[in-house]
Amino acid sequence: MNRREENKEFKGATQYVLDDELAKIVNISMALEMPLLLKGEPGTGKTMLAHSIAENLKMPLIVLNVKSSMKLVEALYQYDTLTRLNDSRFGDSKRDVSNIEEYIKMGKIGQAFTSDTRTVLLIDEIDKADTDFQDDMLDVLDQMEFDIIEIDKTIRAKNRPVFIITSNAKKNLSDPFLGRCNFHHIAFPDPKMMRKIIDVHFPDIDSMLTDNAIETFYRLRELDRVEKKPATRELINWIRALGADPDFKPKKLAKGEVPFLGVLFKKSEDYGLAMQSVNRRRMF
Amino acid sequence: MFNNFFYTLKEVGVPVSPTSFLTLQKALSKGLINSIDDFYTSSRTILVKGERYFDLFDQVFAHHFQGVALPEDMGLEVDALLRSMLDEWLKNPKELADLLGMEESELSKLTPEELIEYFKKRLKEQTERHDGGSKWIGTGGTSPVGHSGNHPGGMRVGGVSRNKSAVKVALERRYKDYSHTGPLTQATIGEALKHLRNLIPSGPKDQVNIDSTIYNTIKNGGEIEIVFDRGLKDRLKVILAIDNGGWSMDPFIPVVQTLFDYARAQFKDVKTYFFHNTVYDTLWEDPARHRKPLNVDEFVRVDPDTRLIMVGDASMAPYELMSSDGSIYVDTRSGRPSIERLQFMAASFPHNVWLNPVPSHMWHYTMTVDAIRQIFPMFELSLDGLEGAISHLVAK
Repeated sequence: MNRREENKEFKGATQYVLDDELAKIVNISMALEMPLLLKGEPGTGKTMLAHSIAENLKMPLIVLNVKSSMKLVEALYQYDTLTRLNDSRFGDSKRDVSNIEEYIKMGKIGQAFTSDTRTVLLIDEIDKADTDFQDDMLDVLDQMEFDIIEIDKTIRAKNRPVFIITSNAKKNLSDPFLGRCNFHHIAFPDPKMMRKIIDVHFPDIDSMLTDNAIETFYRLRELDRVEKKPATRELINWIRALGADPDFKPKKLAKGEVPFLGVLFKKSEDYGLAMQSVNRRRMF
Repeated sequence: MFNNFFYTLKEVGVPVSPTSFLTLQKALSKGLINSIDDFYTSSRTILVKGERYFDLFDQVFAHHFQGVALPEDMGLEVDALLRSMLDEWLKNPKELADLLGMEESELSKLTPEELIEYFKKRLKEQTERHDGGSKWIGTGGTSPVGHSGNHPGGMRVGGVSRNKSAVKVALERRYKDYSHTGPLTQATIGEALKHLRNLIPSGPKDQVNIDSTIYNTIKNGGEIEIVFDRGLKDRLKVILAIDNGGWSMDPFIPVVQTLFDYARAQFKDVKTYFFHNTVYDTLWEDPARHRKPLNVDEFVRVDPDTRLIMVGDASMAPYELMSSDGSIYVDTRSGRPSIERLQFMAASFPHNVWLNPVPSHMWHYTMTVDAIRQIFPMFELSLDGLEGAISHLVAK
């Protein structure tokens, strides 16, 4: 979409439709060496963006999936005490038990710091973890280094990774943390944009199918009281499902039939609601 | 550079920090920003840290670089205009339909909200062309619409924005729905209500904490030490009492409905009751307020840690609240003024709030609102208000 000549600039990737605004934001964050925090509804491509940056700039991608009980240390490094104990009792490995460093394993952030090339580090859904996690991360982001207490060694980032952080707004992020990030909110794509996205994923799709599928999709998204609205990911899977069904014809969608509703709605109550509305429509 | 821009942002309430402003300066001095479009995206991503403020940012940007009037001046005027337009619409639908370039039948299909939205869009088009767009409603004679059938509804994403200048993009105010004064949607309500959940360890220590067990065992040089933890439980109980009666609450039904639906999905232990205008001796478990009454006195038996959320416009005739036989229903007259019952409820549940769908700047026009505010901390049923209410409820 956005064609520029410079090499180290992000221009979108094969599986990702990038808008101009977002491209600018990614580039400026990289130039300023600041982490980019992305918010937005699930399924708007926050995670995909990191993948496409890595693909586009030919950097390795390291993904840190944040879990609710996660402590930052786990993301930095792990001291594998169990193996060390095992080695010390049974002594059947080549490792030197008295050298603790041999039992230190780098976590995802550690890997990104010690990597010989610049990496893209995706910290996915940071809001899942406690606020402690963000607070602890401030230092790491500021200093670009962390200490391994067990061996009293400081790990410095050889190359500053490109930080992409995503949040689904489950919890509010703390102000000091926000202060260190650049921020962008990805809005849900409008039908036009959605068409482009579909075209990227299914280059030789029947245009009538796309039209009808997108129309049905946006109609179903309008349903009231649905807790988890179907997002881009669901739409893509759904189109894949439709394409895999030999009996399916795009005309059916126009008539109001919606096969494979379960691909779009994954909560049983939502499914029920959608089912009702589809059936009601078909009767007219 | 752009100091004024920075301070205007601060004045209108966008939380901007000096550090981020310095970052912006750094970006400028590095030559990363070469056009006003660049400046728009860059300054927003660097300075503004939440989509709720994007709309305000857009307005300030348009003000600063195009001299568009700031919201304070604009908001009221438009509201007043809208109201007069709505009145006009009620009086003479045909004429208005002609003015808007729509079929009358088409117009009648729109709900008032949709009509207002449609109208605002027209108004905006008008302002862009010759800076006094508000005129045409008053005189009503001039033909307002150059290009009709312009994309109605829907939020635009950046993908299509390539050919537009930053100011135009800012003027479109595409983040309006996210702003803190914007309408409450399920997602925003959910986001706010989620803060209410507080998981705390409770019960016996009966869960093995594997990580600390391993850690401690190794620390002991292999002597096994098993560490137990308490399980996490969400112990929050919520009572939601909703005013669902009378025409005064009618406009707020959708938003209350959303709140109610979401509360049910979020909390395991939520009890919902209904009342009309205010509470006398009973609350009702059924929305029709007929079959399942619950005596308010029963609340003494409920855990006082329960959070009480009242939802209502708190607007009624003063006697309904103050007089000892105030109820407008004959069969619920009890001899005690409603205000005493409200005080009793507030005393039973020290963690309480009253959510009022009426905007807060209208509150002091209604006497009963002030009276009820003495009893319950009152918050506006908007995203900001809801967040205030939640933080009040979770406070110890």
